[in-house]
Amino acid sequence: MTETRPLLEARQVFKGFFGNPVLKGVDIALHPGRVHALLGENGAGKSTLINLLSGALQPDSGTILVDGRPVGRFSPAAARAAGIAVVQQELSLTADLSIAENIGLGAFPRRFGLIDYAALQKGVGEVCAMVGLTEPLDMPVADLSLGRRQMVEIAKALFRKPRVLILDEPTSSLSAHEAGILARLIGTLRDRGTALLYISHRLNEVQALCAHVTVLKDGGVTADQSLAGIDGEGLVRLMVGRETGDLFPPRSVNVSGATRISVEKFSAGLMREIGFSARAGEIVGIGGLVGQGQEDLLLGLYGAIPARADHAEVSGLPRLPAHVGEANAAGIVYVPADRKHEGLVLPHSIAVNLILPSLGRLARRGFRDRAAEAGLIADLARRLTIKGDVARPVQALSGGNQQKVALAKWLPLDPSILLLNDPTRGVDIETKREIYLMLRAFATEGRLVILASSDTPELVHLCDRVVVLREGRVAARLSGAAISEEAIVGAAMGIHEQGEAA
Amino acid sequence: MKAVKAVFRNPSLLTFLLVALVWLVASLTLRGFGAYGHLRYLLELAAVIGIVAAGQTLVILMGGIDLSVGAVITVTAILLPLISPAADPTGLVGIVLALALATGIGLLNGAGAAYLRVPPIIMTLAMATFLQGLLVIVAGGSAVTVSNPAVILLGQARPLGIPAGILLWIVVSIVVLLIIHRMPLGARFLALGANPLAARLSGVSVARNTLLLYALSGFFAGLAGILVLGMNRQGYVGIGDPYLLMSIAAVVLGGTSILGGRGTYAGTIPGAILLVTTTALITVVNASPGWRSIMFGSLILALLLISGREARR
Repeated sequence: MTETRPLLEARQVFKGFFGNPVLKGVDIALHPGRVHALLGENGAGKSTLINLLSGALQPDSGTILVDGRPVGRFSPAAARAAGIAVVQQELSLTADLSIAENIGLGAFPRRFGLIDYAALQKGVGEVCAMVGLTEPLDMPVADLSLGRRQMVEIAKALFRKPRVLILDEPTSSLSAHEAGILARLIGTLRDRGTALLYISHRLNEVQALCAHVTVLKDGGVTADQSLAGIDGEGLVRLMVGRETGDLFPPRSVNVSGATRISVEKFSAGLMREIGFSARAGEIVGIGGLVGQGQEDLLLGLYGAIPARADHAEVSGLPRLPAHVGEANAAGIVYVPADRKHEGLVLPHSIAVNLILPSLGRLARRGFRDRAAEAGLIADLARRLTIKGDVARPVQALSGGNQQKVALAKWLPLDPSILLLNDPTRGVDIETKREIYLMLRAFATEGRLVILASSDTPELVHLCDRVVVLREGRVAARLSGAAISEEAIVGAAMGIHEQGEAA
Repeated sequence: MKAVKAVFRNPSLLTFLLVALVWLVASLTLRGFGAYGHLRYLLELAAVIGIVAAGQTLVILMGGIDLSVGAVITVTAILLPLISPAADPTGLVGIVLALALATGIGLLNGAGAAYLRVPPIIMTLAMATFLQGLLVIVAGGSAVTVSNPAVILLGQARPLGIPAGILLWIVVSIVVLLIIHRMPLGARFLALGANPLAARLSGVSVARNTLLLYALSGFFAGLAGILVLGMNRQGYVGIGDPYLLMSIAAVVLGGTSILGGRGTYAGTIPGAILLVTTTALITVVNASPGWRSIMFGSLILALLLISGREARR
């Protein structure tokens, strides 16, 4: 077989931050017409490697080769010139600009020094059609849901007609339908000879789309091989070095406790007069396509957005909490989906983030009790296996560890209701498993866990009951054996509207 | 080498060293600069800026800004003589009333920012304009002379040879440093400044803390107004104007991020001293007032660029 020459290649690259080596001699070669998967747990060095390949960072040693030629000083501009485009996990769109302007930003077609809007419209129309964006092109990105924004982000990369396309967890905020479009698109690009690098925690996607895999573990390459003949189990073995069987903890025998949440005709944000109730000791899943009101349901119950209900009893309160402080006092806590913007104070230390909700409780005579705080922080870090110095800024942590901090900070409040919004998005398998175990333990301890999730297997295997939302209303209530991927997806898409009472 | 790097990563310490260096060089080259009396005078001037900047530091840490501090100083300086009851021989009642007034103005700023969602930059600027108009109506164009004994004592007394204003500044510094570093309040301000949304979802009340902060800023501006009045013995329209830019410059010179969430009052203290020293040095240069203003403005900009660059690390 004649080996094609790689379009983009890294040879023995090393990179460290503040003396911590992140990449320790990594090789990767992206060939035209091949979808290359990059796997690894959070903190394995995937993001750093992408940054090196796109010129955002310089390697400490080792070389980056474009078309087989080493490049001396690689920069984002040089990478763009070489036809390398990256779809970042963190969206890089400007909310106030339109879809077309966002896609064209930095590569506007010009005429007499002005933006040629006609040419822009045409070029943008083509890439939007490729990714299935049907919204008007002059619509501001701020009006789009997270999933649609991700499609704009992909269209933006395509607009530059890349030879190398790097996709960093592109499906984490996409609905099943959008993910399907993306899969077909990847096939088209591959057949045209584009070299693709695909990063995802969803192994079935990797299996379906990719031909070759590089596995990173602790900054080194543990596998660099063809995916032919490797099944899902094999993939996980490559990543974690053990079997998958125990990803989800066993369901405990259902010990329904007292009713903790009971609302009738509840409205908040997108939610339209729904009824909802849940008991202590349950894990209740909230499913549905992206942006059907899941977040508004949680925020309304948390007192963070205006909400009303004909009748409400939440954690002993005879009404909905009026503000977050009241919710916290009643033992209700919330872990947001967007941990970087809503969950954590990124530039502040791990310790400060862990202690934030407990500051008032730990203070003595108005002053902070440093010894008590240090004790609590050490205890939380140990319980959640958050490794390393807690004085580091929380943004230095990997996504999974950040999520653990966002969850851990609530434990000192001994919450009776945990509202979790997609807690495992962008989290590696190992941390996912830890979080699942923790949630099951919460339920066993008699707490109520409400879990909104975009990951259907999670709803099926972890939850005692699942409520599927569609356009602000309840599309189905599933429990016990009725919970299946088919039932959830079907209800979410509006196929079986009738739900059985739980 | 490590120690040098540590200094460069600590903006407060860096500003302190810069002040020490300027003082040392100026003392050796300029006759009379290093005299005890002169340095004490510089610190006395810095005390006013430092006290205004105490409130400004807190507000900026939370991601806001208070553009009404100059006007609050003027209001306090002009109204205090008018509201001090003659029946009170100590003058303390007048001081308490003036501070309550200043705090109330701050509270209004906070209410506008917290409940009406007016951006603080607009709210406090509008408040400043409103107050200036009010003063012209109340005081006309004339200066008001103070006879309140407590205020005069604050401006003129020197227990153990140290001006009372400097002692007041030391007390304010201790209180503010305790608030920022030793009280839950300080940690909440910083969290709100760095990420208001995450702080709110973590149970930190935005409204309550905003009210509190602007009230504190009003209080400290009022305190500075009383000190200025005592030092000048006269209050007039415009007396507080220079302190607005000075207070913000002192905060930023001390390494506090103007965007909020990062910094400390420990940097503002040398920042204030550096500002008055710079002013004093420019005065020594034989130039017309116009050129002096231009030099002062350029120097502030240059200093901010240097300290800002370090703070970004």
